Amino acid sequence: MRPFKHFNAYSLEEAVSLLDRYGERACIIAGGTDLLGKMKDMILPSYPEALVNIKSIPGMESIRMEEDVLRIGSLTKLSAIAENPIIREKYTALAQAASRTASPNLRNMGTIGGNICQDIRCWYYRAPSNRFSCLRKGGGRCYAIKGDNRYHSIFGGSVKGGCFAVHPSDTAPALIALNAKVVTSKRTYEAENFFNVGLHSTTVLESNEIVVELQLPKPSNGAKSAFVDYTQRKSIDFPIVNCAVMMVFSNTKMIDARICLNAVHVVPYRPKKAELALIGHTYSDRLVEEAGEIVVAEAKPLDNNKYMVQIAKTLAKRAIQACREAAVE
Amino acid sequence: MVDKNLKRYECPYCGETFASFEELKKDIIANHKGRSLPVSEGMIRLNVNNSEHRFHVEPNETLYEIIHNKLGLTGSKQFCDRGACGSCTVIMNGLPVLSCMILAVECDGSKIETVEGIAASGHPLIESYVEHHAMQCGYCTPGFVVTAKSLLDKNLNPTVQDIKNALAGNLCRCGTYPQHPLAILDSVRKLQADKKSKGEV
Repeated sequence: MRPFKHFNAYSLEEAVSLLDRYGERACIIAGGTDLLGKMKDMILPSYPEALVNIKSIPGMESIRMEEDVLRIGSLTKLSAIAENPIIREKYTALAQAASRTASPNLRNMGTIGGNICQDIRCWYYRAPSNRFSCLRKGGGRCYAIKGDNRYHSIFGGSVKGGCFAVHPSDTAPALIALNAKVVTSKRTYEAENFFNVGLHSTTVLESNEIVVELQLPKPSNGAKSAFVDYTQRKSIDFPIVNCAVMMVFSNTKMIDARICLNAVHVVPYRPKKAELALIGHTYSDRLVEEAGEIVVAEAKPLDNNKYMVQIAKTLAKRAIQACREAAVE
Repeated sequence: MVDKNLKRYECPYCGETFASFEELKKDIIANHKGRSLPVSEGMIRLNVNNSEHRFHVEPNETLYEIIHNKLGLTGSKQFCDRGACGSCTVIMNGLPVLSCMILAVECDGSKIETVEGIAASGHPLIESYVEHHAMQCGYCTPGFVVTAKSLLDKNLNPTVQDIKNALAGNLCRCGTYPQHPLAILDSVRKLQADKKSKGEV
């Protein structure tokens, strides 16, 4: 790695003041599993001048169940989330998503805050030594349109003229399905509005804004959630498609449904029309089938990724069925 | 390595520049009370295999580089250098982590256990790995052993599936995968027999 400055911040204010000072030239480092890989590969034309370590800030690594909200500090390790009994029981989709992220040893390093703030995946964007000066890096075009786009967005580009990269986070769709809130050093976002379709960022965070906490509302009675994904190998791999669903059942009637897929678009994709097709109806296999069709109704696959449409449809159905099975038990 | 000319000793809080790191430190202590000092000339304390060490580290040095290059513990291996293969696994503060993806400046005060420490403590895993020949070229083996040791620290009665799950992040190009559960289960038997003989069970 090239030389850079490094600061261990000991309070949130200190970290923010460092970011204020360096602006775009500084990066926040927590687990570092995404950032250090990017820096070692030198995928970006620019290199961070300074890293601000926020792991040294006390009190941001905790899981606390309060009266009607579960508060997860942004520095909480993914392994801690995957093993936490409260999350496994009440927020099943999040525990499953955390346990499917990367490999066990990476989960001991990676944090939930970093998982939702990680950069997009696209092999042109991530090619070592900035080999493809793509749209995202200020270049002229998106190489995925005419190139090999088997792992790219099936719901269109993020901006005019391209960027078909996908957001690879496993926990992001689970958080959106579970209606979480993302608390930063400046404000509170609905998890759904936290992600950004912009050209140069994947989140709405400003350069001096730090994710502090995730707040998950207490699930209502009869709520069940599930997370399923499809990867090439069982571990380490990023998802080809993943899907998290939360359903609220009253006997066989579906009172609420929240579906969110990821790795299919540059931000997590929430098919609201499919949710509406389920809400207020009685659970039936035919209805689940219909919802699956609606999930991918707006898909616009590229040349090489039509198979992802079929996977997305199937995963959405499987996640809904998994919620139903959990509710019946 | 770092080009010394690049260092400007700039105060991160007010932007003033200084000729030496000592002067910058003095300024931060005097004018920015309570603010932490930059670690550009970082000194870290590491407890590696129960012995205390102090290192001067550059911000861009990884924990792996310190353990392997500065301390000379060549057990942990660098292979992918991207956190994908598990060859560089060490146990840091009780958790198996990938030392190639950790900046050394962030490890101040950490307790590290490497495969050398596991061997020196007489852990039966080493013997079991030899008996079951769970290696071919042997490059990935230290990473497997360290991950397995941390599994056995947590769970002294793992199932084959537990072992497979724990080792899911360690890659072996020689394809020795079937031997690892055998070696680890063998080591479990030895550990349990050892416990019994000491009358702990």
